[in-house]
Amino acid sequence: MNRKPIWEALRPYVLIAPAMAGIGMFVVYPVIYLVYLSFHKYNLMNKAKSKFIGWDNFTQLLTRGDFYKALGNTAVYTLGVVVLTMLLSLLIAVWLNKKTRFNAVVQAGIFTPHIVSIVSVAFVWMWLMEPDQGVLNFVLRSLGIPASDWLQSSKTAMISVIIVSVWQSIGYYALIIVAALQSISPSIYEAAALDNASRFKVFTKITLPLISPQLFFILIIMTIGSFKVFDTVKIMTGGGPNGATDTLVYYIYGFRTTNIGYSAATSVVLMLIIGLLTFVYFRLLARKVHYQ
Amino acid sequence: MASIQFVDVSKTFDKQAVIRDLNLTIEDGKFTVLVGPSGCGKTTLLRMIAGIGPHTSGRVLIDGKDVSRIPPGQRGVAMVFQNYAIYPTMSVRENIEFGLKNNKVPKAERKRLIESICETVGLAEYLDRKPSDLSGGQRQRVALARAMVKKPSVFLMDEPLSNLDAKLRVQMRIELIELHKKLGTTFVYVTHDQVEAMSMADTIVLMNKGEIQQEAAPEAIYHQPNNLFTAQFIGVPPMNIGELGTEGARFGFRPEHAVLSRQLPPESALHYQTRGTIITREMLGSETIYQIRSGSDSFMVKSAEDLYRVDEEVFLGVDASKLHFFGGDERRLESSDPRAAGYLELLRRRP
Amino acid sequence: MNTLDSSYFNWLKSAVGIAFKIVILAVFIFPFLWMISTSLQTFRETLAFPPTWIPAVPQWGNFAEAMRAGPFLTYAKNSLIITVSIIVIQFAVMIPAAYAFAKYRFALKNVLFGLVLLAFMIPGQITFIPVYLMMADMDLIHTLWPQIIPFMSNAFGIFLLRQYFMQIPEEIIEAARLDNAGEWKLVRKIMIPMAKPALATIALFSFVSHWNEYFWPLVMTNSASIRPLTLGISMLRETEGISNWHIIMAGNVVLVIPILIVYLFCSKQIVKAFVYSGIK
Repeated sequence: MNRKPIWEALRPYVLIAPAMAGIGMFVVYPVIYLVYLSFHKYNLMNKAKSKFIGWDNFTQLLTRGDFYKALGNTAVYTLGVVVLTMLLSLLIAVWLNKKTRFNAVVQAGIFTPHIVSIVSVAFVWMWLMEPDQGVLNFVLRSLGIPASDWLQSSKTAMISVIIVSVWQSIGYYALIIVAALQSISPSIYEAAALDNASRFKVFTKITLPLISPQLFFILIIMTIGSFKVFDTVKIMTGGGPNGATDTLVYYIYGFRTTNIGYSAATSVVLMLIIGLLTFVYFRLLARKVHYQ
Repeated sequence: MASIQFVDVSKTFDKQAVIRDLNLTIEDGKFTVLVGPSGCGKTTLLRMIAGIGPHTSGRVLIDGKDVSRIPPGQRGVAMVFQNYAIYPTMSVRENIEFGLKNNKVPKAERKRLIESICETVGLAEYLDRKPSDLSGGQRQRVALARAMVKKPSVFLMDEPLSNLDAKLRVQMRIELIELHKKLGTTFVYVTHDQVEAMSMADTIVLMNKGEIQQEAAPEAIYHQPNNLFTAQFIGVPPMNIGELGTEGARFGFRPEHAVLSRQLPPESALHYQTRGTIITREMLGSETIYQIRSGSDSFMVKSAEDLYRVDEEVFLGVDASKLHFFGGDERRLESSDPRAAGYLELLRRRP
Repeated sequence: MNTLDSSYFNWLKSAVGIAFKIVILAVFIFPFLWMISTSLQTFRETLAFPPTWIPAVPQWGNFAEAMRAGPFLTYAKNSLIITVSIIVIQFAVMIPAAYAFAKYRFALKNVLFGLVLLAFMIPGQITFIPVYLMMADMDLIHTLWPQIIPFMSNAFGIFLLRQYFMQIPEEIIEAARLDNAGEWKLVRKIMIPMAKPALATIALFSFVSHWNEYFWPLVMTNSASIRPLTLGISMLRETEGISNWHIIMAGNVVLVIPILIVYLFCSKQIVKAFVYSGIK
């Protein structure tokens, strides 16, 4: 008689149990363990020999030049990717926003790089950026512009990596903006036309404010995504030349076997940065999202 | 103030002609209502005046001037949209101010205008609110204020009341009539609701399938409909139509013009008489509407008294002067038309 | 006359617009065409400057050579097993959880859902060291499991599906209950069919992202027998030499073509899936 209500009370927990187990095992536990590791000198061969060393990993981290270099590189990379992607995808979106068949084809085209493996993208661009036989330098020379060393010079390696990332993600963000633009009621624009608004004014006073929630979303997603950049760097430059493209995750990756505790401490710092960005995002979102 | 003229205007959407060679003059200072079923082209006409859905060929004149090449914002027209089209990210004040700013109206003047308009439409206390915090009726007022503040010579409204609830709609109807009286500008109002058209218009332009069916004052359109379509579009319930059985001609009468009785009235009293059974009865309070089946015809009858019940057998009579006749081309015949007399005779002899 | 003027102007404007759009399209499509062209060139042709746009004789042998550089059949098989297993497991885990979060009220629901959102925020780049150590402890490091099981709970999927389930009107569920449908039947016959677009979105999204996954297998695998295709291809540069671009590109084509073919046939759905995931 009593069995049914008990089952009914338990049912939701049973249904979410597998999902929660996965999250507990592969997110919550690792995060806690990561913090634990960051306070230890971990011995990969013999766990029993690991020892607690307090804040040592962190003090070491904060006094090492290569960490700051990686952090700085990541910040430069993030800034470059975010600003360029934002501007270009906004431009392309405004331009491709009309619903025509040709625009749909162009949209599908610029989106293609986003679904292709980063391995392929990186390789194709390494080949395009090859200093001697690469197509990019061929184009530059044909236009009478001096050729570049692209990935092979510490001066241009970072911008080259940024170009590849921007190229890969523009299509995605442009389409999100297109979707936002298309959700604006056409009568708003008609009302603005009757209000004698110039094109510039329509864009700055009506379009931009109306899509600002999505732009803001993109901004945060892109920033967080850029802070964990790894794949392009690993394949294209290996952090070089001369550490010019060494980024935080690549830095963590570099110590993953040699100094696990130190690597974990760096991960904790990265986690704090991402956490802070997410927090700021939700705080601002709560304030901004209340209209319509 | 301005009159509006359409001269041989056509409009095609995706190679489909929506309006073909239409001619129409909207008089200066009048409240003109464009009415018709959805897809009849009424909104298309309105958008042509505004310049937000330009015509494909022909000319649109405002105050005698061809406005085809004048951008919407410089035509001296203002529009209230069906969904209000209020700028969601701007406050009420900014919404109303936007057009003024674009037209380079000085700041002091803007302030004065906004305040006086908001006094008129009752928005004074909401000036700094965002549209999302306003009710449907208040948004409607913002849309109105935004249009009024520009002092347009033509006021365009695209079904502005259709998103309001029934009670508010009746109230706004009266307010709009008063507003028109006060401003004295040309109003062009689009609706699919013939009651709205009848109650507000100086002139009704009834459209169907891109063509003007009739352009007349409400009384004229009700009592002298041009054709079958007009007769059946205007009036609730619409005009009763029956087959005459010759030359494709038809006869018609308004539901309120039929007289019901239990006994057959004396021979000469009413011209058209028939016997039928009451199928449905709708008691609406001040009046009762019966549906009566007579042979293959079915007639609606509006009666001030509530005397009859469903399934009752009644006699239905209509006075000769209240009968309308329509030719095979669906046009109404004037009473002077020789055919009308013949049809009248035909109807009398019907069993 | 006037209309003639403006129509000419409009024509010019749209012609310039179309030309510009074609240039943009070329910027995004050319690298792939160049990849295919290079994969069919001889070593000599790749060295030529100016570049050889179209190879004189297509070198189909490049593909065979690329495939000889490693156990590519194993790699491809691994990729397939990993991707399919992840999607199947994710669905089995996600649907009941999303249903519970959408339609039941229970204690700690908000806290638990907060954990789901947290999982959404924390990337593998942060958790990989502890997860690796855990997998090593469980002696799973030489199997495919480390590449599959950590993805069992798809936080984004749970979130999206829950949104979808919540939008299904309560009345439909009540009507089904009145028709004496059990809970399981309700999910199977009503919830899942109505959430089909969301499920398709999640499946496509999972497929594309796990087929393309590079970082996770890189840090989880030590031996060739468990590597996926992405890693295998990425190692071509070491095994074949850094200047053998024709071979590297041939390998690349093998990696990209399946995705491009899928994209060619359902670009609309894929684009929608990705954009939707971005907006929600």
